[in-house]
Amino acid sequence: MEISLLQAIIFGLFACLSSMPGMGGTTIGNYTLGRPLVAGLVVGLIMGDVKTGIIIGAAIQVVYIALVTPGGTVSADVRAISYIGIPLAMVAIKGLGLDPASTEGTGMAVALGSAVGTLGTVLFYGTATINLVWQHIGWRAVEKGKFDQLYAVDMVLPWISHFICSFLPTVIITMMGSDMVDIIKNYLPMDGIAMKTLFTVGSLLPAVGVGILLKQVASKPTDLLTFFFGFVLAALMGVNLIGAAVIGGFFAVILYNIRMLQYKTAHVSASDGTVYDDDDEEDI
Amino acid sequence: MAEKKISKKTLAKSFRNWYYGHLTCFSQEHMQTFGYLCSMLPIIRELYDTPEEQQEALQTYTAFFNTEPQLGTVIVGVTAGLEEAKANGEAIDGEMINGIRAGLMGPVAGIGDSLVVGTLIPILLGIALGLSGGGSPLGAIFYIVVWNLVVTLGMRFLYYKGYELGGKAVEIIVGEKANAIREAVVMLGTIVIGAVAASWINITTSFKMLNADGGTIIDLQSTLDGICPKLLSAATVILCWWLMSKKKISPTIVMLILVVIAFVGVLLGFFDPGLSY
Repeated sequence: MEISLLQAIIFGLFACLSSMPGMGGTTIGNYTLGRPLVAGLVVGLIMGDVKTGIIIGAAIQVVYIALVTPGGTVSADVRAISYIGIPLAMVAIKGLGLDPASTEGTGMAVALGSAVGTLGTVLFYGTATINLVWQHIGWRAVEKGKFDQLYAVDMVLPWISHFICSFLPTVIITMMGSDMVDIIKNYLPMDGIAMKTLFTVGSLLPAVGVGILLKQVASKPTDLLTFFFGFVLAALMGVNLIGAAVIGGFFAVILYNIRMLQYKTAHVSASDGTVYDDDDEEDI
Repeated sequence: MAEKKISKKTLAKSFRNWYYGHLTCFSQEHMQTFGYLCSMLPIIRELYDTPEEQQEALQTYTAFFNTEPQLGTVIVGVTAGLEEAKANGEAIDGEMINGIRAGLMGPVAGIGDSLVVGTLIPILLGIALGLSGGGSPLGAIFYIVVWNLVVTLGMRFLYYKGYELGGKAVEIIVGEKANAIREAVVMLGTIVIGAVAASWINITTSFKMLNADGGTIIDLQSTLDGICPKLLSAATVILCWWLMSKKKISPTIVMLILVVIAFVGVLLGFFDPGLSY
């Protein structure tokens, strides 16, 4: 499977739109087009194989299910994962003759996607650094009272940063994809240590994504019980994800009511029997 | 002097500029500052007549700004309301607006990261993954539609609510009711993530103990499945959580640790994908 120049150029454009900080804005860009599952659909459509695209995108999505960027630090770059990693994974899986839906296929995709994503953080820092130039122009515009230039600084000039740090790398790397697969085939046999390790890493990595998420909501081991509740629902009781969302929603409503009652009792004891209405509390 | 009021059209333009442009010109030095400037510019132009006044008002928003952009829309709305009050001669100055802005951006970033990125997105993606079985595009389409709808309407609501309430909007996002809702939503998210982990992480071992005739004495995987299905997956998640949460190791290093574990495991015959060209 080859990636044509036209396909590579389309991937390059999507890379510009989807990155953080991207030209699509965060809502449509980073949080929609940048999600590997959505990118799987986009790449699948462009490569003419939606099914494989979705399977690969979904597998990689689990690793990055909660990609938080606190204070503008990134541990992985979505444009690289989504529009370099997914096309490469597709080419590799097809080139090596793997079944995308098999554990080996998804393992390959996840390992490749994550490696590209981690290396891709270079692109994030590159974009942010070039943007400093445009911001410098912006400060001079504010000084001189040429306010209209601010729009160009915020929304037009950063395209140049993305041409250098998103478009070109994506086009060049995806074009080289099929050559890379040939090299892997010739030098790294499937039953060798290197490939076995690669596939195993691919199956282990999604645990990191879930771990990152758990870190935010669980600070002590007993907090993990909620997580295991959901885990057991799916692993032992065979509940699917929509079912788990409904059951979780039910418990969330109960928790909300308990908390509101607690706040009320706290107010009652604090103010000697006077009960405040909820709406009044908001205006304090 | 007639009371100044920001027109609907200008408010819409200000919201649009923030909705799209809050992070387009990002640098480590001034993250969302230019997005904020572009959002306030239409308002300042309408409220102040002379270029000197405009420049002075705009100066307020040249200070560093960064928060969670979706929930942070409320801050932009609040400052729009405050700026209007300031133009009408109320006892508000640029320094005060900046104080409110700087005071809010930290807490809102914390709440937004845990609520939007840490809970809403994982829940939607979790459901979308469930709909993607067998390579169906349904899940991706579900996520695109629901996420954009919820967030666009939500941001619009936050912006106009913030504008309407001005400084009082702070209570909405840090009040008790908001706290209870946040805890409940986080709980829902954690349960869904548990189900995502069980459905999508698939770690198995190939370790077997054989007797002299080649018969199996212990098949570790089926033994583990007898205790609890997906036990290795759960154990690996907990290991990652423990490394990051208790040992303060960064995600990238944790990934490298897993590479080492995989390598050693393959050498010992614990992991074997069992594949050939």
